[in-house]
Amino acid sequence: MAQYVVNWILLGCFYAAIGVGFSLIWGIMNIVNLAQGSLIIIGGYAAYFSYTLLHINPFLCILVSMVVGFIVGYIIQYLIINRVIRAPILVTFMLTFGLDLLLSNVMQAIFTGGYRSINTTYSSAAVNLLGAHIPLLNVAVAVIAVGLTALLSLFLSRTRLGNAILAVGMDREAAQLMGIGVANTYALTFGIGSALAGAAGAMLAMTLQFSPIFTGQYTLFAFVIVALGGLGTPWAALAGGMLFALAEVFGPLFPGFGHGPEIGYGLEIAIAFVVLVLVLIVRPNGVLGRPFYS
Amino acid sequence: MARQARQTPDRETAADTDRADIPAPRESRSWLWSLGIGIAILAIIGLVPLTGDQSTLSLWTFILMYCVLAQSWNFIGGFAGRAAFGNVAFFGIGAYTVSLLLLQNKPFWLGLALAPIIAGAFAFLLGLPVLRLKGHYFAIATLGVAAALGEIVQAENVGAPAGEISLTPPDLNFQISNALFFYGFLVVSLLTLLGTAWLTRTRFGYALVAIRENEQAAESLGIATYWYKVGAFVLSAIPTAIAGGLFAYWQLSFDPVGEGGAFDVTISVAMILMTFLGGAGTIIGPLLGAIIIEYLDQSTSIAFTSIHGPLLGALIILVTIFLPQGLVRLVQELLRSPAGVKQSYPMRIKQGVQRVTRFILSNGV
Repeated sequence: MAQYVVNWILLGCFYAAIGVGFSLIWGIMNIVNLAQGSLIIIGGYAAYFSYTLLHINPFLCILVSMVVGFIVGYIIQYLIINRVIRAPILVTFMLTFGLDLLLSNVMQAIFTGGYRSINTTYSSAAVNLLGAHIPLLNVAVAVIAVGLTALLSLFLSRTRLGNAILAVGMDREAAQLMGIGVANTYALTFGIGSALAGAAGAMLAMTLQFSPIFTGQYTLFAFVIVALGGLGTPWAALAGGMLFALAEVFGPLFPGFGHGPEIGYGLEIAIAFVVLVLVLIVRPNGVLGRPFYS
Repeated sequence: MARQARQTPDRETAADTDRADIPAPRESRSWLWSLGIGIAILAIIGLVPLTGDQSTLSLWTFILMYCVLAQSWNFIGGFAGRAAFGNVAFFGIGAYTVSLLLLQNKPFWLGLALAPIIAGAFAFLLGLPVLRLKGHYFAIATLGVAAALGEIVQAENVGAPAGEISLTPPDLNFQISNALFFYGFLVVSLLTLLGTAWLTRTRFGYALVAIRENEQAAESLGIATYWYKVGAFVLSAIPTAIAGGLFAYWQLSFDPVGEGGAFDVTISVAMILMTFLGGAGTIIGPLLGAIIIEYLDQSTSIAFTSIHGPLLGALIILVTIFLPQGLVRLVQELLRSPAGVKQSYPMRIKQGVQRVTRFILSNGV
């Protein structure tokens, strides 16, 4: 049982990293970014190549991925999504789906669909505690994920730029009247969201493996995590990640549910979605969400 | 809600109606034109089997299938304006209903009759909770249900191990049976076209449009918005399920999930993209969108297999940025003249281009 609890906490924190950028973009701009999975995988490649080609320390690779993610995200928002930001939600939904299709296919064409991962000498280091096997790398990743969530929260509440982002999210027109450049702020928001996706991708490369085939799956995960947690605060993504991991880790304990070797196979996803729909019906703003923007 | 109101391109009509000298509006005949063009298109497509070429026939059967899917998504997405992302669930339900009955040696027509009933009932029961959700949450919930259904069919081995159905072909010459499936899809598409045209003339249809444009305003006018939305959801499930049933017996073998599967989420996305390209909430828009996109999709996937995915992605991006209202509304907007003023066509088109450009720009920051 201790093992399950450890797995749950580690996976939950990692899922928070997957969801937190998605949550920022959705909460501020009312965009459900279906390209999030592709951005995560881009981060994975950035970390992978800076480790294998440039021999950078894997933990610094997270920073590289964040910079790459930020640049890609800024450009996407500035040049493409800003053009339809006021259109009905279905339009942005479709647009980001198209982006995902484009990005994931281009990545498949360039890097092939094969699995990649960052393997270091200490990848399998672990300690045993109370009968539970605790992989240290996953602990480090979980700490970084929570740290990034805390940093984002501080950034939004304590800095001028963060306040500008929140202001644009609350009322675009009013923020514009106060002298905030909306186009640029949106691009920054998407850039930060993509940087967080990049960080998640780097952590994915360090702890599991990644392939451009699964962009849609990670988008779906981000979707569920954020909807479960709710919008309005980065901490909700952590709550959503914990809930989603709960369904995935403890789901197979119940008899009769299939359990496959990969994430996303078997009934965990179905269970997560059933939980999601139930949560949405009971609490339409998510577990921790406030009706901040929607 | 301001977001929703932007869907009407002609915002300047508000200023126009202030003028007193405008004659009373004539009853618009545009629905008859649309219906006529739609029937003509389907009639021309109906000649395809005469070519006798099996690959052409298969291409156009796929196109007609997507015509049905896009047309039925139009009910909930185009008219009621709900971001339904899980309509492939009804397609899958139709496919598996027919398959399960065929596997038990029950006749095909029984499955085809039961499929829309089961899918309609499912849409009703599903719609009761999820149609209370707003915007993105509705989109997520429907997407989630479709994905979950596929997973369940796969994990619980519905019909076959991992849900991978394989049926015995119908006891007919395969050329004849392929032509029969083609005409099956054609008939369903035609009926859906007639249904759409009928919808635009009824109280039900007007209520759905009112909900799309401003749900609160519609509610305050005494429209039972919730029940109309449930109705539109059920309506969109019915032809989709029939298409799923025809698909199952036509293809004979298919998977629950994955590319080309009966619960493949990209089918949902295709319905939406096609309806968008043609014009959501119009009579022939989904038909045009389905023909253009499926034709491009099928021909590029043969000619340029490797760049097929990126091409489709780029197409989606271009359509959403430059054609958010679809082709039908683009043409209408280009040819429209201000009420009560006779204008030459070059003049109309010149002003139309300005209107369309202004509209596209108004979607940006």
